[in-house]
Formats: sequence, C-alpha cells, structure tokens
Amino acid sequence: MVEFMQFTLSGIVFGMIYSAIALSLVLIWRGTRLLNFAQGGMAMFTTFVAIEVIYKTGNYWAGFAAALAAGLVLGAVAEVIVIRPTIGKPQLNSVIVTIGLLIGLEGLAGILYGSQYRSFPSSFSITGIHLGRTPLGVSTSDVFVVVAVLAATLVLAVAFRYTSAGLRMRAAAFNATVARLSGIRVARVLTLGWALAGLLGALAGLLVSPSTFLYPNSMDTIFVFGFTAAVLGGLDSPAGAVVGGLILGVGLSYVGGYLGSGLTAIFAMALLVLTLMLRPAGIFSSGRLRQV
Amino acid sequence: MSSGPVSSGPVSSGPVSSGLVIENLVAGYGGVTALNGVSITAPPATITAVLGANGAGKTTLLRAISGLVKPRQGNVLLDDQDLTGKTPERLARAGVAHVPEGQGVIAELTVEENLRIGMMSRRVTRADKVKSLAEAYDRFTQLADRRRKLAATLSGGERQMLVIARALLARPKVLLLDEPSLGLAPRVMAQVMDLVVRLSRDSGITIVLVEQNARAALAIADTGVVLNLGKVVATADARALAQDVALRHHYLGF
Repeated sequence: MVEFMQFTLSGIVFGMIYSAIALSLVLIWRGTRLLNFAQGGMAMFTTFVAIEVIYKTGNYWAGFAAALAAGLVLGAVAEVIVIRPTIGKPQLNSVIVTIGLLIGLEGLAGILYGSQYRSFPSSFSITGIHLGRTPLGVSTSDVFVVVAVLAATLVLAVAFRYTSAGLRMRAAAFNATVARLSGIRVARVLTLGWALAGLLGALAGLLVSPSTFLYPNSMDTIFVFGFTAAVLGGLDSPAGAVVGGLILGVGLSYVGGYLGSGLTAIFAMALLVLTLMLRPAGIFSSGRLRQV
Repeated sequence: MSSGPVSSGPVSSGPVSSGLVIENLVAGYGGVTALNGVSITAPPATITAVLGANGAGKTTLLRAISGLVKPRQGNVLLDDQDLTGKTPERLARAGVAHVPEGQGVIAELTVEENLRIGMMSRRVTRADKVKSLAEAYDRFTQLADRRRKLAATLSGGERQMLVIARALLARPKVLLLDEPSLGLAPRVMAQVMDLVVRLSRDSGITIVLVEQNARAALAIADTGVVLNLGKVVATADARALAQDVALRHHYLGF
C-alpha cells in the first residue's frame, strides 16, 4: 500500500513535467497547427543556460530566472527566423524545419557545452518527506515541481481567459481569417505563443534535469512523453494536456515500479498508438469534428 | 498634433472624403484569374450592390479589397489613401470591415468575446470599451441576453447580427458584406437588409453588398454593379438596373 502511494505520488511529479511539455506543444499547435519537434531541444538548451548562470553566480534562482527568460526569447526568435518563412508552404516544410532546429540546437549544445552528462541542482531539498514514519517517496523539490507547473498553468489559463492578449491568441487560434480582418496582428500573436511555449519548455527542463542529468539529448525522452501526453489529452486542449500528462506520469510510474523500468517506453508507445486508434482527437475531444 | 492651418487638419470624416475607389483590379488564386480589371466607385454613405452568378468574382472582389487576396494589378483607395496590397490587419485599422460569407462568427468564443474582438483594430480606453459594448447591446437587444453564451449556440439570424455588430464596433468607414442573407428565413433576412439601410443612412458607412438575392439587394442599394467572369458588365442606378429586363434575365436570373 505504501509502495502504491509512493508510485502514485512520484508519478504525479513526473506527470506534471510531461504536462508542461504537453502544454507547450498545445500552445503552438493551436496557433499554427504545427508540432514543434524542437520543443525538447529548446528546453535542453535553456537548461544549459541555467547551469552556466548557476556556476557563475552560485545562485540557483538566478539560473532559474535566466532559463525562463531564455525560453521566452528562444521561442520568439525560433518563430520569427525559422518558422515564419515556412508559413503558407506545405505543412511538411515546417515539420522538417522544427526537426532541423532540434538537430541544430543539440549540435550547438554539444559544441558549446560538451556532450558529457552534467548534474543539475534541484530547487529544494531532495530528501524524502515522511508522513509520520511513512516515507512518501517524494521530496520538497518534488513538491516544488508540482506547485511550479500548476502555478504556470493557472497563470496562463487566467491570462487566456481574461486579458486582451489572451483573447487575441484565442481568436487567432480559432479563426485566423476573422482575427486578421478584425485588425489583430496574427503574426505577432503567433510569436507570443511560441515565446510562451518556450517559457513552459524551459520550466520543464529546469524541473526534470535534476533527475535525468543534462546533456544534448537529455530531453529527447521527455519530449516523447510530453508529446504522448498532448496526444492523449487532445492537441487542441490545454486542460487535456495537463490531465494527459498526469495520466501518463502515473501510468509510467506504475509500469516502471511494478513491471520494471525497461517497459516504460513501450507502455508510452502503446498508449500513443491506442489513443490514435481509438480517439485520435484525444480523450478530451467532444467528438465534434471541425466546424464548417 | 500637427501644426498647420486648422482647416486642412486630418479630420477623419470631413466633407472631402471620397469613399471607396477601386481601379482596374486584377486578382486571382494560383493560375486562375478571378477578377480581371474591375473598377467600382462607392461614394460615402451609399450602398453598392455587387451582383452576378457563382464564379463571377464577387467574393474575390471583397477579398481583394480587404487584403485577404493580394491584387496583382490595380488600386484600392479609401478617402484618397492608397491601400492596395496592404495586409488585412492594416486595412482593418484603416477602416475597412469585411464580414466574410457564413464564417464570421468565432463559435468557440462567447458573444461578448466576439464583440470585443471588433474593437481590436482601434485604440480604445476601458471606459470607451464599456460604452461601445453597451451601445451594441442597445442596438442588438437579442445579443444582450446571450452575452455570456458561446456564439455556437446562436441561430443563423443572431450570428449574422453578431458579425455585423462586431464589424460596427470597429467604427469602419467601409463595410464589405458577403451574402449576409444566406440561409436566413425571409423575415430575418428583411431585418438584416433593413439594418444595412440604416447603417448607410444613419451612420454614414459606405457599404459594398455582395448578394445572390439580386432582387433584395437592388431594393436597398443606390448603385448596382453586375460582374460576369471577373469583369464588370454593367454599372447603373439600382432602380434602373432592377428594371432592365434583358440584363436581369441574362445575368441575374429574375
């Protein structure tokens, strides 16, 4: 029973990280109908920025803030320089360009920072928390993971719902033609979407790297899990992304804990294939196809 | 803001405005030329009905004016300002409001959010926003009761009212309406037509109205323009056009 609870809690912690990646993919998907394969690579790169700043300043939070800022900038710059020229061209062009961006970033990280595994500090203590005498299997740092992702999600949700910029983003995502005809500068809105996605990715990179080490390919697996979570929840649904991440995180934790960690990737792949077969629009889809 | 004689200041709706002038417009998609040298003059506060069969180029004309299609040749002038080839968002800011055919409502947003989008092309203070919205609800009372509802829940007539209300919140100089009566019940269609008349008479908006229903459009228009295969085949006073039996039979089917 204790074991089950520990697996559940640690599954939730990892699930939140997948949620953050999934949410960043959903942000871009809703704006551009494009899957950003470079999302993990961008998160890896901004985490290297964090590690550099932490080494220089000796302050974890300075690195944390620097990585988030770098995520914003990297997302915006990637949209303007790499993605925008492919808009209006065949969809495959943009997909290939994001893969190119991923390879480019991983190569650049290798050149700048080397390809050896580097350990990454965690925000708070990684000693396990106990409830009475029962170990919960999670640490203060894990609690911070959950709080940070939830806070980011909440801030985004409120901003989308209640601010003018949020309304612009939703209008552009749902109907770009009407948005443009109403004077909304859709290109800027897309840049903002990519910047926010970059920020979320950077957050995920910071939160996951203490447990995975940091190296140029370190985010590849996390990206695949984040992608699976996004598909599970429906690429169109921010709430779906969060729930999809949680389901995947907890599911992977049970599979890894009870059946062996070698099976987690297969489980994720099976979940992905099953979702695409049974509910290709995600478990949160209302069954409604695109309106005419 | 600028110095200089008061009389020549940048008054937006002064008596010198010359309305919408389209000169020799050529536009199309890929290898298809949908619009082949169209010239139309729509003076301020008038209704110009653009008529013709399917494929005559009516919708392309509106899309070329609002920037959704880049013209290959020709000019679009609004109050003597050259707006040719500008982006839709830039044109919206210059005072062109385009209500596209049957797809103007953003169904996933609420009625009020749809209306708020109408004010994004101009600078508005918070108080101004509240006032403009209140005016819109006064005018379109059926929208006031549904302001928190998703636009997807509206009827066809209510949707048409919503897109027109939203276009008006942009305070446009020119309103381009593409088939506003499409799919509406006759009574609702009459309401929409009535509204279009009041917009030009009372609010002084220049209206370009594309319609399949030529009879209804000519009944409210000042000028009628008949397009065929991307060219203007007739431009005349709307009443005269409605009485031209040969032209009606040939191009308008009534």
